[in-house]
Amino acid sequence: MSFVVRQIAKRADGGDIIRTRTLDSAEIIVGRGTDCDIQLADLGVMLRHARLLQLSDGTVAIEATGGIPLEIDGKFVNRADLTVSDNPKINIASHRLTLTKGDTPGAIAITAERVVAASDAADAASETGIFSLRETMPSKRSLAWLFAGLVLIIGLALPLFMMGGSVLPAGMVAAAGRPAGASDAGKLQPALGGDEVRKAGYSADMVWSSGPLSTAHAGLSNNCGACHSQPFVSVTDSACISCHKSDATPDHASADRMARGRLPVGGFQADIHKGLNLPEGRCASCHKEHEGPRGALMVAASFCTDCHTGLSGRLTDTKIANVPNWDDHPQFKPTLVSVASLTAPRFERVSLTDKPMERSGLIYPHDIHQSATNGVANMVSKQGLAAGSNGALACNYCHTPDSDGVRFKPIEMEKNCGDCHDLAFARDGGVTRTLPHGKPEQVAGIIRDFYLGQALSPRAGVQRFAFERRAPGRMAELENADLRITSTGEARARGDAAIAQIFGADGKAGGLCSDCHIVNNTGASNAAERFTIAPVTLASHYLPKGQFPHNQHKTYDRKTGDGACVACHKGVMTSKASTDVLLPSITQCRDCHGSTKVATNVPATCNTCHGFHYGEGEQGGDFTASPHRKTPAPAPATVAARALPVRFGSAEQAGAASGGKTGA
Amino acid sequence: MATQAAGKTSGKAIARAPRETAHEGFLTHKRSRWLKIALFLSALAIAVYVFTDPQPRPNGGTVAGYTLGTIGTLMIIWLSLIGLRKRIITTKPYSLKGWTSAHVYLGLSLIVIGTLHTGFQLGWNVHTAAYVLMMFVIISGMYGIFVYARLPEQLSANRNEATQPQMLEAIRTLDRQLDTAAQPLGKDEADLVRLSLEQTDIGGNLWQRMTGRQPQCGTARARDAIQELVNQQMRTGKPDQRLTQILFLLERKDAGLAQARRHIRMKTQLEIWLYIHVPATFALLAALIAHILSVFLYW
Repeated sequence: MSFVVRQIAKRADGGDIIRTRTLDSAEIIVGRGTDCDIQLADLGVMLRHARLLQLSDGTVAIEATGGIPLEIDGKFVNRADLTVSDNPKINIASHRLTLTKGDTPGAIAITAERVVAASDAADAASETGIFSLRETMPSKRSLAWLFAGLVLIIGLALPLFMMGGSVLPAGMVAAAGRPAGASDAGKLQPALGGDEVRKAGYSADMVWSSGPLSTAHAGLSNNCGACHSQPFVSVTDSACISCHKSDATPDHASADRMARGRLPVGGFQADIHKGLNLPEGRCASCHKEHEGPRGALMVAASFCTDCHTGLSGRLTDTKIANVPNWDDHPQFKPTLVSVASLTAPRFERVSLTDKPMERSGLIYPHDIHQSATNGVANMVSKQGLAAGSNGALACNYCHTPDSDGVRFKPIEMEKNCGDCHDLAFARDGGVTRTLPHGKPEQVAGIIRDFYLGQALSPRAGVQRFAFERRAPGRMAELENADLRITSTGEARARGDAAIAQIFGADGKAGGLCSDCHIVNNTGASNAAERFTIAPVTLASHYLPKGQFPHNQHKTYDRKTGDGACVACHKGVMTSKASTDVLLPSITQCRDCHGSTKVATNVPATCNTCHGFHYGEGEQGGDFTASPHRKTPAPAPATVAARALPVRFGSAEQAGAASGGKTGA
Repeated sequence: MATQAAGKTSGKAIARAPRETAHEGFLTHKRSRWLKIALFLSALAIAVYVFTDPQPRPNGGTVAGYTLGTIGTLMIIWLSLIGLRKRIITTKPYSLKGWTSAHVYLGLSLIVIGTLHTGFQLGWNVHTAAYVLMMFVIISGMYGIFVYARLPEQLSANRNEATQPQMLEAIRTLDRQLDTAAQPLGKDEADLVRLSLEQTDIGGNLWQRMTGRQPQCGTARARDAIQELVNQQMRTGKPDQRLTQILFLLERKDAGLAQARRHIRMKTQLEIWLYIHVPATFALLAALIAHILSVFLYW
């Protein structure tokens, strides 16, 4: 009965030191204590950990004495009977005891060895592991691959995979087809087709967007292919035009004139543009997208002056003056009537510095109509017409703003003159007989018929108004005498006299027509054909290449109402003839809209007044010279009177015929 | 006054070594040649930005924008080549110190060039991603310069002439002594010592390395517990000699650990920025590829 104990210890160089002892006892104690038969220097081992008792040859009873179960062949037990021939293995903390048959009969060999290295934290890791980050962090190289890969996948691979293929949202295409009015210029456009496209949601190539799209294009934010139709090709005009058709957004001028007018790009810059596939004069040359809500509409004034500085040198046949900047903007050249005509009125542009004269054919002294003390003011008061604060006729009595408030409705005789200058010429019982305006041939006939009728069948209560001056109190007497007709011959003579008087020909005072019109005496024997009225053409738009929103200038220089009007239209109060051109000079504009020398809160840019996409015939176009114009040249005229014997249409019809132009 | 004057004189009394032998850091290399070049570049970029008036607004797509972008891209590529340069042991065509000096100052001037290239137009896109990555790289580099300028001195002071292996060896020796000293102890007390032996991680995780703090360290817990036991015994009589011996060993181990952890904290700070600087550089190069390619793809 003996135990042979073989304790194995590791040497520093890795070899084993084996110490063998024979214990002649049937019972041995295993533990950390110095009194133990097998001493294990292991703090995980109890001072007295286990007791082994040899029961018979080949059987050992083992019992945990330290209160910690023993791990025997993978099972935890407090006591067990072990068969030595099974070579049982007992794990105690970091040590393992293996029982084998001893060399001598009845002996049991116990091999004790440390199987888990001594618990020495400092040994557990290498020096570099402890002092550097190499074992704490993933390697820089793997991090670099990971991050670069992520960036390439999200920033390049996915967008490349998703790009191309685009369907234009129908709602936006329809909205783009609406013509942009002058009053829309510079205004924020609403987001178009939003709901329709928002459903499409995220698109991987959105990460390529260099900035938010303009409000109007926001609906295309996830639809890059709508504009970027071909890779490596700059956004082409065809992409723009697929929505913005030319009838809604007319060209500024024909392509060849635009090309000639542009400042030529040469040398290095041209090479770069060519190399980078950037054609000159694209839509996107002016309309820069991905610049935020106002983006595409933020067209710089310099884009206009790029071409309009020295334009005449390149586009030699242009009628447009060079405009290098706002300071050197040429004086206004209003489009004035040079020859009034019912069929073919002629206009010419005359600079305000060149003593311009308007030849509308109308007689209209502004000063009389603006007086606060004369008969006109008296009439305004009696008739209850719109009056200014001083009692004079209000400007907007005749110059009625149009619905946009930008310009004015056409002047109509019946509406704007007729309350005072009525054409009543007789009273027939309760009926006032009125002469038709604009129909001189009818007028003569009506007057003659009136006298003839009175001669053939005189009726009481008929009275012809007299227009000439007479002494007070004798009015009725004279009027009655006029209608005491005894023969048709007398009636005819009286009628002819009345015609001459009403037309007011030959400078005769008191004429009804000649108050406002130039009346010519043709000397015809037939009185009905004897007098003609000189044609009248009223300009409807003096500065058709620009726009002046009158409604935004209702107050000026601390004045409101008529005071504001005449603050700019300075000559109105003293103008004695309709040939006066009462437009303010451009220096008037600079009072508020500044110059490079005058700082201002409302600096002017080109599109303050001008538009680009209004077509050649509209504001800003070179219509007078262009043989390519698509829209008709403007007829800025409202024909207000016609010469005999041509049929005369109403002012409204004339206005409609000339494209709805309104007086400015 | 007199003492002040004396102080000044004594300050000057320490003779400076001649330029040839004095240590000249990469920041002052060649009388800060690259600092001047970088300042000039930045001033030039600012002047271009201020004196051009691109319409409708400045951004990367203007003439100045493309110019700055091209310069910036070339600089980024060159700056990233320092990784190659430092692996080539040579003094020509430029010393590594000169190269590093240029790397630092030209890298800093990218703040100006890159920012002006954006025209202050930033958004959630690959272009701004490239810019942000660039700023990440630059800021991590600035942190790197800061710690390189500041920490080596502290590191050396903390080491107190001990090398890293010596620091480890001291702790290992204490561990062995603790193991031996604990052999006669009962289970509970031995377990406390095991706590120190087995539950002590000198370095710890990244956060523990960055802060140098490990409040739950096994050694600290063992020390506190044994201190408590010793205190209890002292209240009733004489403390167990074996325990006081172990407490002494634990306190020494704790001091050794604190020194090692300060060392690790500073070494970690010296190293950690490169784990951002280098991977972010490669992410930046990838973002640059995506940025440039996408600009021309959706031209």
